Amino acid sequence: MKFWKLIPVVLLCVLTSCKDSLTTDLDNRTVAEGYYDSAQKIEQAVVGGYVDLRRALLANYAWLMYGEARTGDLTVTVNYQQAVATQKLTSDDRYVKQLTDWGYFYDVIKDANDLLNIINKADASILNNNQRNLFKGEALALKSSAYFYLARIWGDIPSAEKSNFGVRLSNQDAVKMAAAWALEAKGLLPWMLINDDGIESVSLTNIRFNKTAATSLLAQEQLWLGNGQNAYDVLNNTFTAATADSLSAFGLSVGADRRTEIPQNPLDEKVVRMPLERFNTIYPTGDTRRNMFNISTADNTATLIISNKDMLELLPLREINLLFAEAAWRGGHLSEAKTYLIKAAAGAKEDYSTLSETTFADALLTERRRMLPGTGQRVFDLIRFGKVSTFIPVFTEADVQNGAAYWPLSANSLKGNSLSQNSYWLSKN
Amino acid sequence: MFLFLASAGAAMNAHAQDTLVVDSVISSNRSGIENTLLGNIAGLRVKSWTGTPGVQSTINLRGLNIDPTDKSTMPLILIDGIPMIGSPSDVTGINPLSYFSADQVERIEVIKNIDLLAAYGVQAPNGAINIVMKEGKSGAIHVRANAFAGANFVPNNDYKKDAFYNFNNMARRDVYGNGGIVNEQNVMVDGGGDFGSYLFGLSNYQDKGYIKDSGFGRQSLFLNAKYNISPKFSAHFYNNLALTSRNGRYAGEFNRELPLPVINDEGFVMDKKRNVGLVSFVGLNYQFNPAFKASTVASLSYEAASRDVFVPSTVLNGNVYAASVTSKRQLITINTSVNYLHQFTDWLKLDMTLGNELRTNDDRLTSVDGQRSLESGGSNFVKVVTGYNANQVNALSDHEMEKIFSFYGKWNWNYKEDLDINMVLRTDGSSFYKNKWALYPALGVHYNLKNTLNIPVKANVAYGKTGILSRPETYRGQLSGYGDYYGGNELGVGLLYPAFADAKSIGVYQLDAGLSFDINSSINFSVNYFNKIYKDFTYQRYLPNISGIDYEYETGGSIGLSGFEFNLDGKWIHTRDFSWTTNLNVAAYKNKVRSLPADIQNTSLAYLGALSKGDAVTSLIAYEGNQQKVIGNSEAKGFGGISNTWRYKNISADVMISYAWGADVAAQSFTSTYFADQVSNNFPLKSAETPYYTTSTDATGRTIYQGISNIENASFVRLNKAALTYHFGSSLNRLLSISDMQVFVRGDNLITLSKYSGLNPEENITGIRKRDLSYTGTPLPASLVLGLKLVL
Repeated sequence: MKFWKLIPVVLLCVLTSCKDSLTTDLDNRTVAEGYYDSAQKIEQAVVGGYVDLRRALLANYAWLMYGEARTGDLTVTVNYQQAVATQKLTSDDRYVKQLTDWGYFYDVIKDANDLLNIINKADASILNNNQRNLFKGEALALKSSAYFYLARIWGDIPSAEKSNFGVRLSNQDAVKMAAAWALEAKGLLPWMLINDDGIESVSLTNIRFNKTAATSLLAQEQLWLGNGQNAYDVLNNTFTAATADSLSAFGLSVGADRRTEIPQNPLDEKVVRMPLERFNTIYPTGDTRRNMFNISTADNTATLIISNKDMLELLPLREINLLFAEAAWRGGHLSEAKTYLIKAAAGAKEDYSTLSETTFADALLTERRRMLPGTGQRVFDLIRFGKVSTFIPVFTEADVQNGAAYWPLSANSLKGNSLSQNSYWLSKN
Repeated sequence: MFLFLASAGAAMNAHAQDTLVVDSVISSNRSGIENTLLGNIAGLRVKSWTGTPGVQSTINLRGLNIDPTDKSTMPLILIDGIPMIGSPSDVTGINPLSYFSADQVERIEVIKNIDLLAAYGVQAPNGAINIVMKEGKSGAIHVRANAFAGANFVPNNDYKKDAFYNFNNMARRDVYGNGGIVNEQNVMVDGGGDFGSYLFGLSNYQDKGYIKDSGFGRQSLFLNAKYNISPKFSAHFYNNLALTSRNGRYAGEFNRELPLPVINDEGFVMDKKRNVGLVSFVGLNYQFNPAFKASTVASLSYEAASRDVFVPSTVLNGNVYAASVTSKRQLITINTSVNYLHQFTDWLKLDMTLGNELRTNDDRLTSVDGQRSLESGGSNFVKVVTGYNANQVNALSDHEMEKIFSFYGKWNWNYKEDLDINMVLRTDGSSFYKNKWALYPALGVHYNLKNTLNIPVKANVAYGKTGILSRPETYRGQLSGYGDYYGGNELGVGLLYPAFADAKSIGVYQLDAGLSFDINSSINFSVNYFNKIYKDFTYQRYLPNISGIDYEYETGGSIGLSGFEFNLDGKWIHTRDFSWTTNLNVAAYKNKVRSLPADIQNTSLAYLGALSKGDAVTSLIAYEGNQQKVIGNSEAKGFGGISNTWRYKNISADVMISYAWGADVAAQSFTSTYFADQVSNNFPLKSAETPYYTTSTDATGRTIYQGISNIENASFVRLNKAALTYHFGSSLNRLLSISDMQVFVRGDNLITLSKYSGLNPEENITGIRKRDLSYTGTPLPASLVLGLKLVL
């Protein structure tokens, strides 16, 4: 019976099909499950976090709208600049509405939390110790940075942590949480990052979180919390004579985003400018910091000279002495504070050696304004120094007490958590 | 020629399915087997939505989905019981049901009842259409040839009735024209004997349609052979290879969102689509003894589709655009089964089949497209895309694979020839879900009352379950590239959406009940009722914006579809010289929402938010003021066909009329489109238009209001097919050794009666005549051909 010879063939077919049938392996397709199986792929997830941070800060020139464009120190040639500069933040303009939405910052937090999970699951065959520390430090620093931005822009914010998702965090609690992650990140991150060729790379270190950046971030957070002495200790213990050569700035690398509305040249002189009148007020004749700008009397504007167009500086090295000065001052060390301020303000015409406890704050605020244009920190500084109504005169001190310095919440941002619009913006709706 | 429609209980394995013998009905001049089925089967809705040749008509057989435009309402297509890829390619839009000529087909079985469908499990939630191919007939050799040729035309083409009126009007009128040739030639050779049987042949079909310089063509080669290796062991080979092409035309059919003004001369627009379609299987059958047999079938349904497009700068304001896309779809199945017949007593028999099936889908897509602005000095037309850099060119390669592994059992109990009980059990294991296995049982009872009660009535009732597969992204999760971060190539990647652990198929529960009366030997009337309940759809639940992701998946919701199908077959007169037969079929359907997820506005089903329990799922919904409301229903309340055949001596006449009633069309206005922020979020009313509008968001998140100018009734009656045939019969046999010869004149879509203001009441797939005319067809032409059939 010849037919019987076929039975094993048929059986073989059936059994083979059985075994292989319920697994599929796709080409040209990245699938979420099991994707992060190498250090390189985990690094892609780290980079994903930076791309989201870039989206959060660069979409609609948000970092300036939350900062110098809101105070009028810089103008951005977009239609909604006027609404922002006149504090009409509940305007119907859809770009202003997008600016009131915090979605991108929470994307960064999700990225960082995912990343921490991925790193926890990765065994030693995937990540060596250096990689593990670096990526974990970056995730923590990204998360800390995102919460810190949220708290400084919106005041009280909801938590996106698993343990208390959606729960309202007071501004102080949010920044305390952020500071704890920044502290952990600072311990994990190296001074310098190593590129694919195994060489310490300045340009790579500039655009990823490093020990300098995490320390600056932590100091900023401690200062925001009013812990001057803590900040002073952090700075003093980390930035020593021995580490002076290892310092690095931190900023966002600019590149092609899948979302095309993200500007690739964020401080483009055609778009971001300082009105000449404002420029002359901030930088009196003779102040050498005027050299940071190109001046066009024809256009009546000054534009920032960008030395490195590949990045947007968020935590420049020149801020470190300003942070020292502020930390020392708030920690009750006025003379050290003056020394740091004088160091930081090289090129100023003023004599800062005569500053007193009462005049120091104004001088420091002035110098931060002069040294840090384009980093998006102006409004945060005004809040920290209690000077919002002075420099944004449409707000009374009562308005500021009611929450005017913070941004209103978009309709989307009010959904799914226990927050409500603060009383100032509620009255403007 | 007479219409033959067998109904419930005709044969032991053919309960409650409708069978259409193709040679007994009028074929269509249009390609696509579905056009031959149109109007002939109660409950099978075939919508002739477009006049573009080679494009599939919408096919719906008791199908419903929560998203009515979804391909998932398409029935399973089988060739001799073997599954084939039946839905059109996304790349070319060419209809796989046009890979065959109707002349190749012996009969088509339309399977609607659950006690047959459950055996196909998750493949056949929307019914199945089994196309049974002709086989060789006994005799050494027969040669059959047929051919027809004719032309397309649109009767009374008033350009103001064209759906595209008000858009690109002059160019469109230029490209429309009567007289596009349609023709087909087939040659088939067959024979049969103790060795088995063979049939092979080739076919050529061309349809130039109604749009000048466009059209569809098919050339195919086919083989259907059975070989008896031994008296017990036989093999079956089937093969159909088709080359198809479809050329497009800018003004005729491209997306209406391309910028105006548009050229008249389109000589340099290129849009070429090509499919290679192969359906092939090998079956082995071993009959151990009269009661026991084993069979195995391995099959391949394969399609390679490609499209090349070039649009010159005169169309695109100085830019040229070129794109090339290729895709491959492949479906491999291996089905092995054993069949056992057992006679317990004279009055109790069992027919049992146990089997397993492996089904693998493997699809690939590669595409490149780019746009380039014209440099000075270049020709408008010869400039090609040379700038292959990231800003100008998009490239994509994608791969999708799905596997289903199944076991099934069918038990048919027959008691005293009068009572049949069908039991079906199928389990599908899929590569998609974490919880891999799903069970699909069904039970059916069929009873012939003639012997016991002496009433000429057959009754049947069945209940069972099938399922619909979820879409890949739900069970596979999503990982996305964000963009370059530094160095131009350091791609940021984020885990966006993890695989949905609770993903599962939609459950489809079906109840069938039917009665069939033989009023006398010439008249049969049957009525069938069905009720389908769909449960557990997978949809997106939108999350608060602090979640870092936009949504997560959930399952829930339930919808229902029920209806009655009536069928009447009558042989009114049957004499030597004159006969008259009729088929009348009507289906009346109702679909409804049974339950929807809570807080539906925060889900991807928000578009159903205006509906409450009992409302039609296919409702047309729009805003009036700030309130959403139902403004119509895109699905017909009823539809069907009437066929009549008259024969007088050697002349026969066939007429098939199709009809549908109760569907609404909402026409979007060409002039009432606004950005919400520009009209202070208040839709401005226009006196000549309805107060209704729909909303959408553009790529930048800006809300758009789209006004609806009018809502119309799309009911129609259509003279769908008509033919007049002269049969030479055996008169030529003595003279020319021709066994049979027929000459015929045949027309398609000759007359449509409707109050609908456009050219074709079925032209809007979604029931909405959209402003950009997406999902709207080109004018449906009528055609008239002269043909000849020869049997040597």
